[in-house]
Amino acid sequence: MTTVGRSTPTTRTVRVHRFKRGDDAPRMEEHDVPVEERTTVLEALRWIQLHADPTLGLRHSCFHASCGTCGVRVNGRERLACVTPISEVSGTVTVDPIANLPVLHDVVADMAPFVARFPEPHPIVRESELLPGAATPDGIDAFDRFEDCIECGLCLSACPVAATDDTYVGPAALAYAQRLLEEPRADRDAILDWADQDAGAWRCHAAFECTEACPSDVRPAQRIMSLRKDLGRRRKEQGREASTPPSSEGST
Amino acid sequence: MTTETPLSPERSTRSRSWRWTASSGLALLVLVTIHMVAHHFVVDDIGGLRTYRNVLDYISTPIIVVIEGVFLVVVTAHAMLGLRSVLLDFGLSERWRSLLERTLVVLGVVTVAYGFVLIGVLASRA
Amino acid sequence: MSGPDTPLPRRDPGVEEILRTRRASGPVSRKLPGPVAWFDVRNRSTGHLAFSLNRITGLGLVVYLYLHLGVLSLLLGGESSWGGFLEIATTPIFLGLDVLLVFGLLVHGLNGTRLSLIGSGFVPNHQKALFWSLMAFGAILLVYTALHVFAVDG
Repeated sequence: MTTVGRSTPTTRTVRVHRFKRGDDAPRMEEHDVPVEERTTVLEALRWIQLHADPTLGLRHSCFHASCGTCGVRVNGRERLACVTPISEVSGTVTVDPIANLPVLHDVVADMAPFVARFPEPHPIVRESELLPGAATPDGIDAFDRFEDCIECGLCLSACPVAATDDTYVGPAALAYAQRLLEEPRADRDAILDWADQDAGAWRCHAAFECTEACPSDVRPAQRIMSLRKDLGRRRKEQGREASTPPSSEGST
Repeated sequence: MTTETPLSPERSTRSRSWRWTASSGLALLVLVTIHMVAHHFVVDDIGGLRTYRNVLDYISTPIIVVIEGVFLVVVTAHAMLGLRSVLLDFGLSERWRSLLERTLVVLGVVTVAYGFVLIGVLASRA
Repeated sequence: MSGPDTPLPRRDPGVEEILRTRRASGPVSRKLPGPVAWFDVRNRSTGHLAFSLNRITGLGLVVYLYLHLGVLSLLLGGESSWGGFLEIATTPIFLGLDVLLVFGLLVHGLNGTRLSLIGSGFVPNHQKALFWSLMAFGAILLVYTALHVFAVDG
């Protein structure tokens, strides 16, 4: 029997969501998986795939929380499977796909509706590497990497509004829009118009579950509140402009 | 992959509902306190509840009519806005959203109207 | 091909696109059916608890608004009609419901204050501390109100 890790193996029961296109309904399957102290949920799922059921569908890539492709729900909580130790999960380990997105198969969600929520196109090219000692460009006080967002979808899964409203653009897209505002080259009006919708920034009810679920410290809820602050500020500026009489300039 | 539909002008400020909900809510912090104190902490009866005569004496004062009238309008507005917010979370289509908003306006107006009739009738009996 | 100077198009959030991609795929994975998920605070944190409490107290208070108007309509029936209601309203169970009402008002009002602040972009990083400190304050008020409601003699 193959195990992962180095300490004394034990056995944990792992319940996995199973669904293939054409199935009438999803079902849960249980497997007894040998685990060690540092075995992760992803490693346990891979053990099932390699040794118990090769039809189990998984999605993963980097194994270190930087690609965001292995997002699942573990005992009801949104987690990245690759960095969730089984030892931190009590009782039977139940693995479901992330919520509020269609299921492609088993624990793999279709990310197309997630990506569709983002404002397009992205006219701003951001640097992904930062040289040590680099100075910030004019108009930017400090570097704040939105590249922290790995588009894992855990925030959308955790959001109670997205649980009932498939049209809500969601925390990731709104946080992205707020990040765009911090770029001096951004078309602020276009971004704020996009956010200023019932399905946009005003649909958020401040449950902050997106921030709790985010594995990359993007803090989407805080960014949504910041977006609202900017919308309020713009409304006041527009109000002031509307009430200020146009200045009469001398004609030629 | 993405569509580009033009932004319709009437959808340019969706913050209005949120602002009115927040403003009415903050106003209610004061109005509800006044209302609860008046009806539970003033009269020395069980629960601080007023008898029929006490209610008539209370509602006959013009300033009370104004305060309770304002309270009625603000609490109904806040309730309708809150209901709207909850029901919009079901991801309604434009047609259902429009129907919902019209229904809530009618419900709100009927509620306030009935409340004012009640106040008026009771005040006239004092 | 868009470049750095290409402005974002003025458009809706692509709602139709979201729905189109959603329809093209299979069944959506949900935590719990529909609005039940709003009130499921298992494995959730303070913000979700606040959201659930705010929602349930809000809906409860809307129901109460109409119950209250209905009860007040008894005043139109005169002294005997209202007196009959007062006999029920001064029983311990009913007084307990009054305290429940105050609980709902305090939770909704104080959390609403919190939402007004953080929703305007103020102190969003302190939303948990704000919630618990406001609820602690509300608990003190609730205890005081309960003592008063049950202690006042006729």
